[in-house]
Amino acid sequence: MGQSPTPHGSAPDLRVSLGPLQLANPVLTASGTFGYGLEFSDFVDLSRLGGIVVKGLSLKPRPGNPPPRLAETPCGLLNAIGLENVGVEKFIEDKLPLLRQRGALIIVNILGNTVEEYAELAALLSGVPGIAALEINISCPNVKKGGMVFGTDPHMAAQVVAAVRKRTHLPLITKLSPNVTSIADIARAVVDAGSDILSCINTVSAMAVDPFSRRPKLANILGGLSGPAIKPIALRCVYETVQAVSCPVIGIGGIQTALDALEFLLVGASAVQVGTANFVHPRASLDILDGIERFCRQQGLGAITDYIGTLDTSCRFPLADMSCDLSHPRPFP
Amino acid sequence: MPRVQEKAKILENHKEAEGIYRLVLYAPRIVPTARPGQFVMVRVASEGSDPLLARPFSFHRLHKEDGLFELLVRVVGRGTQLLSQSRPGSPLQVVGPLGRGFTLPTSAQETVFFVAGGIGIAPLQALLDHVLTTTHKDHPERVYLFYGVRTAGEFISLNSLKRTGIHLVLSTDDGSTGQSGTVVEAVQQSVKDLSSMPERLYACGSLPMQVSLARWVQGRNIFVEMSLESMMACGLGACLGCALPAVHADGPEVEHYLHVCQDGPVLDPRRIRWDKVQPLMVRPQTYVSL
Ligand SMILES: Cc1cc2nc3c(=O)[nH]c(=O)nc-3n(C[C@H](O)[C@H](O)[C@H](O)COP(=O)(O)OP(=O)(O)OC[C@H]3O[C@@H](n4cnc5c(N)ncnc54)[C@H](O)[C@@H]3O)c2cc1C
Ligand SMILES: Cc1cc2nc3c(=O)[nH]c(=O)nc-3n(C[C@H](O)[C@H](O)[C@H](O)COP(=O)(O)O)c2cc1C
Ligand code: FES
Repeated sequence: MGQSPTPHGSAPDLRVSLGPLQLANPVLTASGTFGYGLEFSDFVDLSRLGGIVVKGLSLKPRPGNPPPRLAETPCGLLNAIGLENVGVEKFIEDKLPLLRQRGALIIVNILGNTVEEYAELAALLSGVPGIAALEINISCPNVKKGGMVFGTDPHMAAQVVAAVRKRTHLPLITKLSPNVTSIADIARAVVDAGSDILSCINTVSAMAVDPFSRRPKLANILGGLSGPAIKPIALRCVYETVQAVSCPVIGIGGIQTALDALEFLLVGASAVQVGTANFVHPRASLDILDGIERFCRQQGLGAITDYIGTLDTSCRFPLADMSCDLSHPRPFP
Repeated sequence: MPRVQEKAKILENHKEAEGIYRLVLYAPRIVPTARPGQFVMVRVASEGSDPLLARPFSFHRLHKEDGLFELLVRVVGRGTQLLSQSRPGSPLQVVGPLGRGFTLPTSAQETVFFVAGGIGIAPLQALLDHVLTTTHKDHPERVYLFYGVRTAGEFISLNSLKRTGIHLVLSTDDGSTGQSGTVVEAVQQSVKDLSSMPERLYACGSLPMQVSLARWVQGRNIFVEMSLESMMACGLGACLGCALPAVHADGPEVEHYLHVCQDGPVLDPRRIRWDKVQPLMVRPQTYVSL
């Protein structure tokens, strides 16, 4: 991987500050797409990432939905995993110590069937060293109880966040669902209830069917769409959220390359999470990080924060072609 | 065992049988630790995002000293169609070796059955190669290969196998070559004819074959391993998409899943709840033009 010349000599400063959460760089991995991190340690030096968000945890282990749980769609992946996870206890005992050894900044994604379960999870995890923040998943479309129900109603979303806030001092990220009429309304409600940071988006509720067997492709019938197919939706959601609240926002949805990540930062996300791309290319997150660094050097940016949120909406028809040769624009050569 | 991502070079790609292609790949970083029964994730689109995901394929043959492996690819959808058209000389992103391979036989005393249905021959060949150069080198007569396809044109070349001295039992669903009927029927017939059971049985094949073989081995005291399929997104144990309903130690009421990419793909079929496996699980029809 050839380094491009550095117009400004020293390495760009990639640190970002998300309210109470400080990250070494803006690239995180998205919950459910990076396992408990360890699955990727042959490919990725976990300590280099801004952080990893582990698979959504519930109080008790969950077996998940019956298969088929996956279907591929044009430029996308439809899943109905059903939040299979090992449960919080096993995570703390078996997974967390190994993860800590790898030097990763760890964010734990939590989910409950009731408001009280969310709060209990938060309390349990707060006492454990090595967890940098909690991400509250109120937006999973694949479970009957809880999940998205909390994320589509501003009042209920706020209730969950308020209950969690009472039980922990950890920085709180609330993960928003795109499956709502007004993401701004939910965003405002959860920030008022005590969320320090927002992340958006979770998967988009979607469906795939087989015309021959006349059956849905997922046993669950409906699933959550992720991957490049949802990037424009995600960008719009981040844009609307950034306008609605003043807290930091993490962009998620269809990010495959450094350029994709930069689009989210441009629109105002302070960091990004890489999801489905990890499946396609296990090193995707690090390639994206390297690409962002190259971009900063090429553009003469001393710090990535100089770039975040600098979208110019005043002129819709740029006169000059500002495209930039990133030498590795795609992580999948 | 380290799993690596490697830009493998396609050395050969030729049509092997009706709808089946043989690819020879140079992947010196993946090959050294690869074992029969393990698989690789192959990204079929060289650029862009469609098809998005990599596809899983078993090692068909391993040539460790040359850093090569072979894939046998049956065209069923867009990804395998693209792969069948890939050109020698071009690179292919491959991640592997992944999953658990076959438990290797330890004794030449054992009679070993290999049961391949259609493209199921793919992983079994690598294991056969191993067995015939190690444990059963001097006792090929204790090795049986049952190989069944729908119609004669679907058999891959068997010349090298014919020379090894193993028992080769061919069958076709339409009776065009070998015994008429399914490969599982051929196995059952042989057991009757021999009036003895093999000590070991390795199998790979279509869902109906897996179901019928699973039913047949149920309650029989033989060592059985089968290479199983499920839809995969990552192949690494991260997405949890490749679940198969499985038997739980605490009884049938307990919902339990195994993950084909991590717990398998090689598994004892007696661990799977075949009654809960849906037919659409392994082969969505996506490559049809009307
Ligand atoms: C462990 C393992 C080993 C395999 N080894 C071989 C082999 O050696 N030779 C061979 O020809 N085939 C093998 N297969 C099946 C092969 O992966 C599928 O036929 C292939 O993924 C179909 O891709 P497609 O784009 O042509 O089909 P499409 O139907 O267009 O695929 C759509 C989606 O379904 C998934 N998919 C479709 N069929 C299967 C399937 N049977 N198993 C898993 N995912 C599937 C694809 O990954 C893709 O995401 C193996 C499968 C597994 C799980
Ligand atoms: C297989 C799979 C499992 C997921 N599991 C979770 C989860 O447990 N918790 C969660 O908050 N989001 C989960 N997500 C959503 C992702 O974190 C992410 O928000 C979404 O996939 C969009 O990003 P992407 O397009 O980059 O994948 C999952 C996504 C996928 C594809
Ligand atoms: S394919 Fe992702 S967990 Fe098995």
